Amino acid sequence: MERVQTEPVAIPKPAARTSQVLLVTDRDKTVGTITVPDPVFKCRDVNVHYGDKHAIKNVSIEIARNQVLAMIGPSGCGKSTFLRCLNRMNDTIPSAVVTGSITLDDQDIHDKRQDVVQLRARVGMVFQKPNPFPKSIYENVAYGPRIHGLAGDRVELDEIVHTSLQRAGLWEEVKDRLNQPGTSLSGGQQQRLCIARTIAVNPEVILMDEPCSALDPIATARIEDLMEELRQSYAICIVTHSMQQAARVSQRTAYFHLGDLIEVGETDRIFTNPRHKLTEDYITGRFG
Amino acid sequence: MPLLEGHTARAFDGDLSALHVHAVEMGGLVLDQVQLAISAYADWLRPQAHQVLERERQVNAYDRTIEAESLQVIARRQPMASDLRAVFAIDKVVTQLERAGDEAKKLAVTVLADSETRGFRPGHAMARDARQLGRLVTQSMRASLDAFDRLDEAAAAQVLRQDHEIDQEYAATLRRIMTRALEDPRLMHGVIEAAFMMRSLERIGDHARNVARQVLFILGH
Ligand SMILES: Nc1ncnc2c1ncn2[C@@H]1O[C@H](COP(=O)(O)OP(=O)(O)OP(=O)(O)O)[C@@H](O)[C@H]1O
Ligand SMILES: [Mg+2]
Repeated sequence: MERVQTEPVAIPKPAARTSQVLLVTDRDKTVGTITVPDPVFKCRDVNVHYGDKHAIKNVSIEIARNQVLAMIGPSGCGKSTFLRCLNRMNDTIPSAVVTGSITLDDQDIHDKRQDVVQLRARVGMVFQKPNPFPKSIYENVAYGPRIHGLAGDRVELDEIVHTSLQRAGLWEEVKDRLNQPGTSLSGGQQQRLCIARTIAVNPEVILMDEPCSALDPIATARIEDLMEELRQSYAICIVTHSMQQAARVSQRTAYFHLGDLIEVGETDRIFTNPRHKLTEDYITGRFG
Repeated sequence: MPLLEGHTARAFDGDLSALHVHAVEMGGLVLDQVQLAISAYADWLRPQAHQVLERERQVNAYDRTIEAESLQVIARRQPMASDLRAVFAIDKVVTQLERAGDEAKKLAVTVLADSETRGFRPGHAMARDARQLGRLVTQSMRASLDAFDRLDEAAAAQVLRQDHEIDQEYAATLRRIMTRALEDPRLMHGVIEAAFMMRSLERIGDHARNVARQVLFILGH
């Protein structure tokens, strides 16, 4: 994989604080520690161009197992673009060129032998707008395991549908109406159905792009609780515009600004004592 | 309303700025209370002692108002990062100021006390000791409030560095007072009272130091 040499980017230096040690990565760009022990994803010098538009600039970060990583930043800073790199969803955008190295369990996801369908099963995605297939609730969940051959027979498939709906916290609400269309559910239920669909194929990582922005506070709280449970089994990356949500659900937070990864660190610290002025300004609402 | 001289700082935006300004105003009032109470005690001035008690209500009113304002800021703004630290720290500063105000009140109450065992006018030497210790704690309080007003890291650090001077002066003062009691046991009640007054002053110094600590907390230390 070619590394694109980019212009040095002018980023304001972290706020001067004399008695505080700044942990700056070797690339002298992102503030904070980009590495984690035993990462599921390792991204190095990732760049994304849409034609002339340089949307992601030399981003290096690692994603931990059993943790929620929140990606925050102003609109257009590249959060969704970066998220889409992780399961090669950008492949579907003709103008998008992704360079740099991304490994999942130490295997290059851009390797020629990498089956993209397989990759997207290992790295599932939940979108902003719930998007159930125009099929029954049962079929929405059964579809993935079926095409991936995860169930030997109908009994096994029933079992997968059952556990997936249960883990998504939806089983009790839908067990008597599995044959009704997925679209007949409420928005919050639809989003949990999409989560059930994602976990039905046994992923390692779940990507969520503003999964609660179309939901009311109660449905949002249910998804947030669910994330806490799911992270026992999966790594989760969530893009959110709600600082409170990021603070509530994540263990690590990454702040993006105009395609740069400005700061990454423990969520508890980022929201109480960020090191970079841009992070500080964004999360205190001084700009957005 | 006694404000700190030269107060112009606007370290924060909007609601948070109002909160900060009110806490600084409360600080100005408490500083004034402390100075007035020290001179009321050292010079045994009953009208000044009355004034301290009168204004104690204003101090408490500030405490309540600022507490309500902090809750509003949290509920409306859900502050993050330095703003979050500031709301938290301002609340703690207000608690320290309120306690410093209580110590000032103790001095005033003593001046107004009139009984067999309380309300002894300090003699010449004790009054001088009270003025001397009082001068140090007022300086410290003024400096820490100034650091709080301007969110000045260096000034806050300076207050913390000088804190031991108050401790040393307090210890020396107590030794002198005790020596007097040993020389003349009839002075015992007055000496015990004076020791309590010195302790009040020393505590005001502690509160000033804690205000300085909160300044550093706001600034991310
Ligand atoms: N398909 C595309 N073609 C061209 N440019 C694109 C495309 N998708 C995104 N961009 C541009 O790339 C930049 C990053 O976009 P992206 O959608 O990743 O931002 P974002 O951080 O997710 O924003 P938001 O918070 O609004 O969802 C933006 O400037 C956007 O206009
Ligand atoms: Mg987006």
